[in-house]
Amino acid sequence: MSSVFSAPSAAPPLAGRPISLPRWLRELRPGVTLASFVIAFFLLAVIAPSLLASRSPYAVDLANTLRAPSIHHIFGTDESGRDLYSRVVYGARESLLIGLGATGVSIAISIVLGVTAGLSGGILDGAISRGIEVMFSFPVLLLGLLFVAVFGPSITTEIIAVGIGTAPGYARMIRGQVLAVRGSGYVEAGRALGHRHRRIVRRHIFPNAMRPLVVIFTLGVGQSIVWASGLAFLGLGVAPPSPEWGALLNAGRNFVTQAWWLEVMPGLAIVLFALSLTTIGRSIQQKLEGGLAR
Amino acid sequence: MNHESSKMVITARSQGAVSHDPRPARRMRGSVRAGLAATMAIAAVAVAACGGSSSSGGGSSAGASGSQVAATDSTPTQGGTIYYAHEQETPCLTGGWVQEAFIERQYADSLVSQETGGKIVPWLATSWSISSNRLVYTFHLKPGVKFTDGTPLNAQAVVDNFDTWTNPKTANGDVNAFIVPYFKSAQALSDLTVQVTLNKPYAPLLSTLSQGYDGILSPKGLARGAAATCDDPIGSGPFIIQKWNHGQDIEFVRNPNYDSAPANALHQGPAYVNKLVWSFVANPTTRYGSLTSGQSNVIYDVPTADWDAAKEQYNVAQYITPGRPQTLDLNTTHGVFTDQQVREAFAYAANRPAAVQSAFDGEVPFNGNGALSQSTPDYDATLADAYAYDPSKANALLDQAGWSARNAAGYRTKDGKVLEVKLVYGAGSIITDEGATVLQDLQQQWKAAGFDVTLVPATLSQLFSGTYSTPTSYDATIGYWTSPTPGVLLIVWRPWDSKTAPNPNNASFYDNPEVVSLIEAANSASDPATQQADYDKAQQIVVQKAAVVGVYTQTTSLAWVKSLHDVWIEASQGEPVFSDAYFSK
Amino acid sequence: MSVSTPTPAEVAAAPGGAKGPSPSRPPVAGTPRRSLRIARRVGARLLGALAVLWAAATFVFFVQALLPGSRATLLLNEASGQQQSYSKAQLLPVEKEYGFNKPLIVQYLDYIGGLAHGNFGTSYTQHQPVLTIISREVGPTLVLTGAALAFAWVIALALTIATAKRGRFVSALGSGFEIVTAGLPYYWLGVILLVVFAIDLKVFPVQGGTSLAGLVLPALTLGIPLAGFIGQVTRDEFEKVLDQPFVTSARARGMGDLGVRLQHVLRHAVLPAVTLSGWALGALISGAVIVESVFARPGIGNMLVTAAESRDVPLVSGVVMLVAVVYVLANLLVDLAYVAIDPRLSGA
Repeated sequence: MSSVFSAPSAAPPLAGRPISLPRWLRELRPGVTLASFVIAFFLLAVIAPSLLASRSPYAVDLANTLRAPSIHHIFGTDESGRDLYSRVVYGARESLLIGLGATGVSIAISIVLGVTAGLSGGILDGAISRGIEVMFSFPVLLLGLLFVAVFGPSITTEIIAVGIGTAPGYARMIRGQVLAVRGSGYVEAGRALGHRHRRIVRRHIFPNAMRPLVVIFTLGVGQSIVWASGLAFLGLGVAPPSPEWGALLNAGRNFVTQAWWLEVMPGLAIVLFALSLTTIGRSIQQKLEGGLAR
Repeated sequence: MNHESSKMVITARSQGAVSHDPRPARRMRGSVRAGLAATMAIAAVAVAACGGSSSSGGGSSAGASGSQVAATDSTPTQGGTIYYAHEQETPCLTGGWVQEAFIERQYADSLVSQETGGKIVPWLATSWSISSNRLVYTFHLKPGVKFTDGTPLNAQAVVDNFDTWTNPKTANGDVNAFIVPYFKSAQALSDLTVQVTLNKPYAPLLSTLSQGYDGILSPKGLARGAAATCDDPIGSGPFIIQKWNHGQDIEFVRNPNYDSAPANALHQGPAYVNKLVWSFVANPTTRYGSLTSGQSNVIYDVPTADWDAAKEQYNVAQYITPGRPQTLDLNTTHGVFTDQQVREAFAYAANRPAAVQSAFDGEVPFNGNGALSQSTPDYDATLADAYAYDPSKANALLDQAGWSARNAAGYRTKDGKVLEVKLVYGAGSIITDEGATVLQDLQQQWKAAGFDVTLVPATLSQLFSGTYSTPTSYDATIGYWTSPTPGVLLIVWRPWDSKTAPNPNNASFYDNPEVVSLIEAANSASDPATQQADYDKAQQIVVQKAAVVGVYTQTTSLAWVKSLHDVWIEASQGEPVFSDAYFSK
Repeated sequence: MSVSTPTPAEVAAAPGGAKGPSPSRPPVAGTPRRSLRIARRVGARLLGALAVLWAAATFVFFVQALLPGSRATLLLNEASGQQQSYSKAQLLPVEKEYGFNKPLIVQYLDYIGGLAHGNFGTSYTQHQPVLTIISREVGPTLVLTGAALAFAWVIALALTIATAKRGRFVSALGSGFEIVTAGLPYYWLGVILLVVFAIDLKVFPVQGGTSLAGLVLPALTLGIPLAGFIGQVTRDEFEKVLDQPFVTSARARGMGDLGVRLQHVLRHAVLPAVTLSGWALGALISGAVIVESVFARPGIGNMLVTAAESRDVPLVSGVVMLVAVVYVLANLLVDLAYVAIDPRLSGA
């Protein structure tokens, strides 16, 4: 997942019944290993893309447009003769930046709202919870369209729109988390047993508070990339000639019957990346849950 | 009568180059997607008008006018439905946007029609005369014509349409831009005689009136108000709007009483097909797919990627729209392009023909003359090669202009300032994806010369809210304005900072009284040679000053199944015409 | 999306926590007290729903009213098809007509007052009442999302029933499918389905319109990722329930495996997924925007893109309000469905 639906199932808040990992994942550690390699590859692409791709992602070659994948161009070339593999590799930076940025915005908003609501209770909690519900009534793409119409297409616009759009789910999750921890037997029992506050925080509150955040962050990045690329797909993303993945998808759409690679390759990058994040996120989630159970 | 006073007729020297479709018969292919710049009349839809009058009569000027269409080889058969997949849906079914003109052509008739080459032929006006001072046009309407709501077409109806077009509250953006500077009054002299009076001679008048925007609508229909006219305009054309399924299609049924086809139509009388379903399919891949999967019989704007395949499997037609081509406007009042040398260097620095050839795969021609498209009457062909690719000249010019240093990224600098160019374009609406590819290819070449060009795709709402209408909002922009006459030059080059009537269409912010007076002289000229000379001179000045740099023609294509015959494209705006089309068995 | 998590706190607050399904207990008898409680609960919910709608309207109004740039300029430019700036004198009539010259607070009160009377305003671009436009457009979108939801459930349940706890390989296949599909972006899935099944194989129409055949690909595009999502949640639950003693006892009574799965396990296993379906609506509506674009399908999503681009304030607000209404209603329904399926909660 990690797509649109991810947050919820993945980080099912505790309080009870965490949604557990699929069995195969639990058993197949190779999945996690593989996912780690994929993530490592893309992280390298972010830090030093030139190590992975020798060609410039912008170099136009009008003599070699729309070439199918071959030894020279393993992902083929686009309508300007640019090397698609280079573009996907170089596009990782912007795509991840958007994903991280949007998730950051989202988490910042959701922590403020969620923690405030969870700790305050009463009227404030009610008001914030209603506010969160209001945010829910704005689908991410609607917000995105609105923001694009106002500010014009840009990375900042995408980050803010996707960040706000994905925030309510997390906010509600964090609020639930805080409530659950506050009233949890562990904490009460800890207090009753005279455990020091620090110990309670370390043993109970901290892991509980961190768990969803770590998982949300991991899953949220993939999810945000998917949403941001959706905006780009509608032609409302970053400006060309940026090789951001969503922009590549949007450009590839027109050639899908002649040059399938233009649509399939960037799509694969997104799916692979998001899937890997999901795999790792769930693995982390599982570890955290295991730790808590102990 | 038909005095089409020959003087008035614009000489057509060049016509759209245009590849012929398999049926040698038609040469008209039109196309167009007029720029928003052009029009887009949306909200204030023309309304009004009324009138009434006469009727009857049989087809006067029938007959396919030779230049346009040739006879077909098979006998037309009655029946069937044409499924036509268009691109953009308009907010209204009438108005001043070329997309609206396309639709209006289906259900409305104009006063006159224009053939490829510029010849004006009769339509609702069977004849007309022009006073010797060329200020008074007297149109004689075809008798017996009725709007599809039963209202008779008469002189008052035409007057009401003029009133609607020119009334600021209901103005039709396109008609308005062309006519208002010259229009004085319109009045009904008799039931079927209309007199239009100008305040100064205007050679392009008839040409202007031939466009789909200028379709004459039922005054009774207009009187229903803007909303009704927007949704369900009523004309006297070959098809009647039956239902507009917003977001999906417009269903037209044939007008069984139609007998007012223009003189250049292939036949007089009602359309052969029973229905026309005009659907909106914005995505090019889907649109072409709907043709290949048999869901559509005809599609608009064949994607470049599919053009070669389409030529083999389908009938195709292509039309190079006259008017202003897709042209880069360089901001002459603000930023780096205030320096003419820098503007020239910008033009020399990129291989525009190669980029156009590559991105459109040869489907759309390069248009080096930034003032007029090569299919426009009085286009100056000597400007076709203006600013041919010459990187060393570009570099020399930039060095001279003081932009001799380069920064680490390779961009030129001057006094610590980088040679930055912000190029704004209406992505998706004005510039297609292929056009955006051209810009990206050019961007890399500009980079080599040291220009740091940032492409800024603008949304419709940004364009409409005026975000990019001020001199400080961009360094360069690109756009077009389809027009059957070089009269569009006045629309573009009127002074932008005039106190009385600021001209928003002057996107270079280039004010040159000489250019304006040349165009005005040409618009009002009586002698074709002088007229042409003046238009040419005006084109030369704006191109030589590098206020505009031509890129490619606004070109549109149609592809349709082989079993469908006699689809053609009219010449003023390139509107597809389906009233002569029929299916073979 | 923004499907949220099933509000953990709410679930946790329910008696018995949300410790996973347990065999249902006999419902509490319908005492007057309980009816009162239910009535109060419903009343509170309705009030809450109204508050949400009001806040949504407020948000939409202020975001759009405070946009940079002049709405009057936009309207004039749309009317004339030009991009230009206007003098104050030119703008004034438009501002008067639309009330832009009034103090913002007055505009706001007018807006909210209008909404309260069912007046969503008139579209700037289409010159029709917003409600008329929305009610005209909403049909195909509701059909699409409904069909997508149906597809999602059918696929998810079939997959779960067929593969949950069927041995390592089959289970892994099932849950692997779910994980992958849940992560598929709509645009990618849609384009690929379109190319393969409509353009190449010609099984379905490329341009579906509102026909039944044309519904299949768009609904699958929306439904498949949701199926993966619902499937994951359901599978976890399903596997847990399969371990419950009452399942063992059912088997001991000689019930067949399929029977057990269908009759006993399923009912308990779908609870979380029912909740999530309500939350999934936001994602479905977002997805509809993309899917309608890919398949050139009429509907609210397509209209939304256009309306947002042209800053058609009343129309965009109308769509947002509609989505809010649908969202709120759907979650009310989900609550009720939850109560119906799991009577324990009705006492809460």
